Amino acid sequence: MKLLTTNFVKCAVKACDSSADSFPLKYEDVQLVQEEQDFNPEFIANMLERLDWAALLKVAADLGNTSLPSHKPDDVDPTLTENEPLLRDLHSLLLETQITEGKMVCGNCQHVYHIKNSIPNFLLPPHLA
Amino acid sequence: MEEQSPFLVAHKFAFKVPTVLEIGTGSGIITTFIAVNDILGQKAVFFTTDLNPFACQCVKETVAHNQSQSVTLDPIQTNLASSLRDHQVDILVFNPPYVPAEEVPAVPCQTQASNESTEDDWLDLALLGGHQGMVVTNVLLDQLHNVLSANGIAYILFCASNVPEEVVVRPDLTARFDISLMEKRKCGWEVLSVYRFVKK
Repeated sequence: MKLLTTNFVKCAVKACDSSADSFPLKYEDVQLVQEEQDFNPEFIANMLERLDWAALLKVAADLGNTSLPSHKPDDVDPTLTENEPLLRDLHSLLLETQITEGKMVCGNCQHVYHIKNSIPNFLLPPHLA
Repeated sequence: MEEQSPFLVAHKFAFKVPTVLEIGTGSGIITTFIAVNDILGQKAVFFTTDLNPFACQCVKETVAHNQSQSVTLDPIQTNLASSLRDHQVDILVFNPPYVPAEEVPAVPCQTQASNESTEDDWLDLALLGGHQGMVVTNVLLDQLHNVLSANGIAYILFCASNVPEEVVVRPDLTARFDISLMEKRKCGWEVLSVYRFVKK
């Protein structure tokens, strides 16, 4: 599971939909692996627009990374060489960092979801589904 | 597929990098095909969902066999689009369990302690859609407006027993989507059609 995906997933429990604490999930006991992917500066720069930066900061901190800028960089021109270090960092963090094992905990209902073999499992037991 | 690219390229998505969600992906071959053949004409983020843990694992293998280094794709084990944040999906693709059956099969037990289901236990779930084969599709149709981003598009497959001509004129759907038939074709003994739902 790419770190990018943590920006798109929330608790699957219906009752948590209205709670701001159901996103982002809290990541615990994680194992990380770097998996190489082609670097495309324009793709990363364009993706910034839709990222929830506050959520990204929280998850990165869960994973021990506190080096991100505290505010979302805006209007990053991917053709300028001065922006390449930032875009490479984001590429490595968002697309190449894989959470292979770990737990995802909902801040509202405290339900624990598991990540195994890089696949997050959001299936709920019958009483919650 | 060349015929179908232009309208997608012309479509104005809500975000510069669109997300594509395929529900009930199985092997992942449809999403992999879309991704590696540049069907969208632009780079996208791909997510696949499936209840079946074996399918989720298979998706990774399918992508790995096909230019995985240039594709941004993650499989997620979940029911339909649950666990995905609302209004984040720009393109949704769903080949549902559309075969009419007495009921939709139960999800095999998969507690953390005993993960002993076999691949066979999951296969009926991929096919059987309950009454008129529409039970699962109807659940998705009810959520679709929340799942899609502004201007989001869904492509959903129907078989003749689903009576799609009646589904696509339902007032609750026509109020929220522009619906059009993209393809209708006899496939072996089935007549399959794909409808496009564009969020209003």
